[in-house]
Amino acid sequence: MAELSLQHIDKIYDNNVQAVFDANLDVKDGELVVLVGPSGCGKSTTLRMVAGLEDISAGKLFLDGKDITTTPAKDRDMAMVFQNYALYGHMTIYENMAFSLTLRKEDPNVIHKKVLAAAEILELTEQLNKKPSQLSGGQRQRVAMGRSIVRNPKVFLFDEPLSNLDAKLRGATRREILLLHKRLQATMLYVTHDQTEALTLADRIMCMSMGHVQQVGTPLELYDSPKNIFVASFIGLPPMNFMDVKVSGDELIGDGFKVPLTAAEKAELAGYDGREIVLGVRPENIEEGEGLTMLVNNNENLGMNTLIHGNVATANGAAGPKLVAKIKGWADHRAGDTVQLVFKRKHFFDKETTEAIRKG
Amino acid sequence: MTNEEIEMLDVEKDRMRFIKNKASANLALLGIVFDVFYFVNIYRSDAGSFYYTILIGASIVYNLLFLLGTFLASEGVKNYKKGYSYLLMVLGIGQIIRIFILPRMAHAATVTIGETSTIVMGNSQYTKVIAYLVLSAACLIVSGVISVKRCTTLENYLKTLENGKAA
Repeated sequence: MAELSLQHIDKIYDNNVQAVFDANLDVKDGELVVLVGPSGCGKSTTLRMVAGLEDISAGKLFLDGKDITTTPAKDRDMAMVFQNYALYGHMTIYENMAFSLTLRKEDPNVIHKKVLAAAEILELTEQLNKKPSQLSGGQRQRVAMGRSIVRNPKVFLFDEPLSNLDAKLRGATRREILLLHKRLQATMLYVTHDQTEALTLADRIMCMSMGHVQQVGTPLELYDSPKNIFVASFIGLPPMNFMDVKVSGDELIGDGFKVPLTAAEKAELAGYDGREIVLGVRPENIEEGEGLTMLVNNNENLGMNTLIHGNVATANGAAGPKLVAKIKGWADHRAGDTVQLVFKRKHFFDKETTEAIRKG
Repeated sequence: MTNEEIEMLDVEKDRMRFIKNKASANLALLGIVFDVFYFVNIYRSDAGSFYYTILIGASIVYNLLFLLGTFLASEGVKNYKKGYSYLLMVLGIGQIIRIFILPRMAHAATVTIGETSTIVMGNSQYTKVIAYLVLSAACLIVSGVISVKRCTTLENYLKTLENGKAA
């Protein structure tokens, strides 16, 4: 059992730069929480504070109800997997995996059993006598994970473990991490800037920007009900389209274009009639049909889908806001063509606060 | 290999598949260290001219070969190579034989310088160089014996593993 709780955590460096502002997170036993955000958003700093590699400037950190805010890293019973693997090049894989236990002066026979068991889980048994330089990037990262597994820590911490791998290997290793989590049922905190990793791995995601926690929720919550414009733009690929519009009765009026509202959407925007808001539409929520006209700039065929890049055509035929549509199937539009599109699902955001507008 | 299979393993022996024979390798290196002590002490004498024969050249060449051979053998036994274990034992016996060549000859000899008869190697120096050679020989022979034993154990264990897989 390992429950982790971050309560009002701040990180202020000696030069008075604040990297993390009031971070709160409760990680349940056996849960895999992914910290996601762009570079410099404070996610790695948060992880390093949990690991004990950075001091916590303010707030409290609890592990199983015990305050570990000032506990040294070595006494926290957490294992960290780094982006650059941090393996000892002169040691064999077996020695690398056994190293932390050897330092603790555990019985060599017990160490041996633990290393073999971890190697079996990670399919590294055949590699145990090799040196790290003889392994591929993915295998090295598995060794780094194996080194954590043998310690049987309460919490696993991953700091962008797949960033050094190529796209194919990243996908394979990601699935291995997921299987590992299911097999070990361990509490894991995982940092990445890759939203695909976050969406596929996480039980819950903590999305961060500029040191602030933007939203904590399940992958579906973040995708389907983003709390603000930042989350809406960060989660989803290609990113959500945004347009400044004005609510006017049962339609939204943009710069030279109109978007009709359904009854449910109108109810959602109750209280915003006559006000300016931001309309968000995911590219995959756009379909071809009678509605808005789009001026095509270019067309990207992805096989199953086609990405159409262009602008909303205004009433006088000029180019309005930028728009990306992800249309099912193969389409062959050329620059200058027009396409009729409808928005199947819309998100609304307050223009001033950038927060999502929710009914009630 | 399942957890049950891991539990069934003869762990002491199974560990040898992954852990190098550091005991033998380190003993061999210690044998080199004692040999170096011997070598820097053997030619220290007031009657150095005693050594100016073909023996000094042979002694130096043998010592270089000894250092090279022992170092290679130490690396070999580290990886459970049985042949190198025997080489270490031979080199150890060689160290014993060396006692009866230069040290014994030098200890028994006197050289006349002018009208004075001078002892080539005193008792203290003799005891010291003999001790270094004996210690060096002991390290190498023990290293070789340990290595042969471990190599045999590992060979037999790997055979049982292979037989188990085949069955």
